This record gives sequence, structure tokens and C-alpha cells, in this order.
Amino acid sequence: MTTKTRYFVVGSMLTLAIGLGVGLVAYSVGFSTSAFTREGGPAELQFVPANASLIAYADVHDVMASDLRQQVRSAFPMKEDGQHEFQNQTGINIETDIDHVLVAIVPTGEETGRMPGSPIVLARGQFDQVKIEALMREHGAQVEDYKGTRLVVGEAADGKPSLSLAFLEPGLVAVGSHLLIRGAVDLKSGGSSIAANGEMMGLIRDLESGHAWAAGRFDALTSRANLPDGVSQQIPGITLFSASANIDSGIRGTFRAESRDEASATSLRDVVRGFLALARMQTSARPELASMLESLQLGGTGKTVALSFDLPPAMLDALVSLGRHRQGTLAPQQ
Amino acid sequence: MMAASPANRRPSFVSSVLRIFDLSLSEMLWSRRSVFLALLVGGPVLLAVVSRVVWMFVPNESLRINGGAVSGASIFGLMIWLLYVRFIVPILGVFYGTSLIADEVEDRTITYLFTRPIQRGAVLVGKYLAYLACTVLLILPSVMVVFFLMVPVGGGSIAQMFPSLLADLGMLAAGLAAYGAVFAWVGARVKRPLVAGLVFVLGWEPAVLLFPGYLNRATVAYYLQGLVPHAMPQDSTMSLLLQTFADMPGILPSLVALVVLTAGALWFAARTVESREYVLEQ
Repeated sequence: MTTKTRYFVVGSMLTLAIGLGVGLVAYSVGFSTSAFTREGGPAELQFVPANASLIAYADVHDVMASDLRQQVRSAFPMKEDGQHEFQNQTGINIETDIDHVLVAIVPTGEETGRMPGSPIVLARGQFDQVKIEALMREHGAQVEDYKGTRLVVGEAADGKPSLSLAFLEPGLVAVGSHLLIRGAVDLKSGGSSIAANGEMMGLIRDLESGHAWAAGRFDALTSRANLPDGVSQQIPGITLFSASANIDSGIRGTFRAESRDEASATSLRDVVRGFLALARMQTSARPELASMLESLQLGGTGKTVALSFDLPPAMLDALVSLGRHRQGTLAPQQ
Repeated sequence: MMAASPANRRPSFVSSVLRIFDLSLSEMLWSRRSVFLALLVGGPVLLAVVSRVVWMFVPNESLRINGGAVSGASIFGLMIWLLYVRFIVPILGVFYGTSLIADEVEDRTITYLFTRPIQRGAVLVGKYLAYLACTVLLILPSVMVVFFLMVPVGGGSIAQMFPSLLADLGMLAAGLAAYGAVFAWVGARVKRPLVAGLVFVLGWEPAVLLFPGYLNRATVAYYLQGLVPHAMPQDSTMSLLLQTFADMPGILPSLVALVVLTAGALWFAARTVESREYVLEQ
């Protein structure tokens, strides 16, 4: 073997070894997009219990300021009475005061409608603490002190669990059941939060770039969905799901499902592919819908199935005009 | 009884293979064909570098295919399918596999190898191993570089995709081994092996894979596709037909089939070289 060849072999093997080493470290430590990013997830996750089955996040500020929102607002003008009333009562302007919201569903055993657990809402922004507390007191709420944090405990009505509120940090309000808010206060001083749940954090780390995202256990979605037996049996074994969307002048998003095994993922891909093919056949005569379907991309690796979509501004314009047209044709009949 | 002198002792099969491997690896790496190999391997890397640079300057604009936004991880999967599995691996198998013996015949240098006190089969196996080392050491680092450049684009996770990278590397090595062995046999047996190889790779395999039935089992691609961990791309009508009609074998049957195919083709190739009389054209 010549020296030149020996250098080539060593260089090539070194490249492979370094790549495998970095990948292995990333895999075992759980780095996200690269080996040099932070751990991931919004800071409010530290107040969410480790057993939360569903977590959703929305960057309210960015969504409200997006071109898309302005477009929808001008296309379908809505009454803002409710928003003004909410602002008068709480001092919170949804458009400007809330930066982002994190909602988690935690299986506590308390029944909350058709939800698979109790929700806890963590909103970060600028809040008038005194005004909010006064408003809740007007509606019969009591204020109590729990581990140095003021808890505003609402009155229980119609057998439903009472709604509580607490300011966990300056600019961070938590709203939820009494049990969950006390739990959040407990987690403030440490404890096992969702950040210690590797399975969920693995999903959340990959969603950070989205303006809005949700991740959770799939059974949490289907358990209260009252799906017909035939349908629920046909859904291949999905264990976890995640969805994220980026909103500016258009919407780009991805839905990702983690299945029990690779066979389930393959059959799920086949099902989705079948639906896409069927939808493409149905919309072949309607270019505005056909181009939307073209933007759907099926992907995924191993046990993951991913479906991404992209609605550019032009496509949204077409959908908005389609909506207007429908409104126009329906109006005389009403 | 007199022991055979070291000069007259015939080397074992393994040491003959290693000697030929050592000799052929440098020849193979620094030949004219390497320019072609470098272009093939450099193409995906260049594409990944360009995509990464574009993404660095416009991070909010996601990469698009047919107007649809796709993540870097999806593009990596797409590149594995379209560039490596469907093109680079079979083409390299054809060009290098068929030339293992054919080049020596064409250059009339096979006599020098066959007059050495080594088994003829060892010549083929040694050259085959040199081909495998040469291609594996070029393609796998190229895939590695493409992986690290593409997957983080659009928020992809290296950690999450790492197991599939390992599967990709294994799959590509298995593909190179299988295609190389099959075309080594073709090269040892057929007079114009390159034409036959190109017809097989660019004609027979894509055509047969489209039809339902058992014909697709007479291809290497059928078993190789069973090992690809990424979803098959929806790039064309052909892919749609492939997804609709072709059944994908499982990982274990695919692996077993590729191992049997590689070992069988290599054995037949060695047997052919052992028994065939090569007539050198003057």
C-alpha cells in the first residue's frame, strides 16, 4: 500500500469515526438540532408535572402580529367586544400583553369535560396582578397563601373543580385546577417536572422552531374522542404524536406520529398515502385545492411517520376567496 | 524428507487475497475511474453544502420540493433514496464490479497475475475486497457529511436520526457488496460486461420493480430497498406505482437475501475465473 493510499484510508476512517462518535454522543445525550444548542423547550415546562399527557404551546405575540392574522382579520371582520370586555375585566390585552402560552393536560383523575385530564395554562406576558385578583374576588374567589405564593382559588360551581390562579414569577400566570396550581408551586422549588420526562422532551426539543406546537401521547387524544370501534381499531399503533406550525404570511406545518414498531409505521404511511392519492383524484379538477394537496409531503423514518404541509400566501388567498364566495352564495338563503 | 523451500511454497488463499487486495487498492484508488467516483460522491456533498449555505442566509425560509416545505431530515432521506440507493450504489457496482477482471484482460496484464503461484479465485476475491474498501471508504464518509449538513436544517434532530444513519451506512455497504459481487461475476463471465451491467441496472431493475409478482425478486434493488429506513419519496409516477404494487420485503429476509446473493455471486465469479480460459486479443 502506498503512502498516499494509507493517508486516504486513515482520513476516510477518521471522518467515519468522528461522525459516528459525534452522532453517538448526540444520541445518548439527546442533543437537538446540533451538538451545540441548548437543552430545549420553553422555561414554563418546569411547572408542568412529569405525567402530563399533552402539551401545547403558542407564541401568541408572533401569531397575533403575523401577516396571516391581519389577512384573516380583514377578510372576516369579527366583533371585538369580547376582547375589549376581557381587557376591561382583567387588564390583559390579548394582542399585546401575552407573549406566549403553554397548556398541559395532566391526568389527575378530575373530570374536565371531554378532556383526558385537567388542564393547566401557563401564560407569560404583562399582567395587572391586582386587577386580576380583584376581578376573581368579585366572583367569590378566596386568596390563600401556599408556600409563600398567593393562590386565588375560585368558587367551585356545578360540581366542577374550582379554578385557581397564581403568579409563579413576575409576568408568569398559571391557571388551572387547585391541585395542579399547588403542584406548580411545589415544582417551583424543584421536583420531577416534565423536563425530566425524556420521552416527551424528545418530542418537544424538535418542535421549538414552531410558532405553535403540540405534543403528547396519542391515547390521550383518542381516549375521549369517542371514535367508532371500527375506526379506532384501524388506526395503526401510534404511541406519541407531535404537530408544529410556523405562521407568517402563510402556514407551514408538520404532523409527526411515533408508532409502536416499524411495521405499524409502514402501514400508517400506506394509509396516509392512500388518502392522499384519493384526495388528489377528487381535487384534480380544482387547481386551488390540488396545489394545496401537492404541498403535502409524506415522510418519516423507522417508527416515525411525518406529514408536512405548506400553505403559501397565494394559496391562502385562494382559500379566503373561496370562503367569501361560499358566504356570498349562502347569504341570500339565510 | 526434504521440506519445501520458502521460495517454492505456495501461499495460502487468504494471504494471496490480502496480497492482491494490497496491490489493487492503490491501483483502483488512483486510476482514471476515480475521477468518476469522486464526481459521484462529491455531488451529494456539494448539494448539501449549497442547501446548508442557503438555509444559513435565509433560515426562516424552509427548503421546498414541488412548492412543498420539507425538513432537512426529509431531504436527507430523499437523497439516500434517489442519489445513493437508486443511482450511485448500482452505478459504482457496475463500473467497478465489471472491471475487476475485464480491465486486466483488456490491458493484457491478467497473464502476470495468473502466472503467479496463487489461486486464480484469490485474484478475483482480492480485487473484489479492494473495490469494496475503495467504495465504502468514499461513500460512507460522504453520507456522513451529508447527514450532518442536512439533518439540522429546519430543526431536525441529529440524536433522533442517528439510528437511521447507522441503518443507512449498513444498507449502503450491503448494497455495494451485493452489486459488486454480482457484477464481478458478470465481468468474469461476459465479454462486454459493462453494457450488460448498465442494461441490468438502468433497464431491468427499474422496469421489473414496477410490476407486481415475483420477477422483482430477480433484482438486487428489491432487497436493498427493504433495508432503507426512510419513507420512499413520492417524486414521480414511477414511485407511486412502486409504492402501490411492489411489496417490500422485511429487514431480515432482505439481509439474508443480500448475504446469500453476495456470497453466491462471489463464489460463482471465483469459480468462473478458475475455470475460464481468457484469450487475449493481439
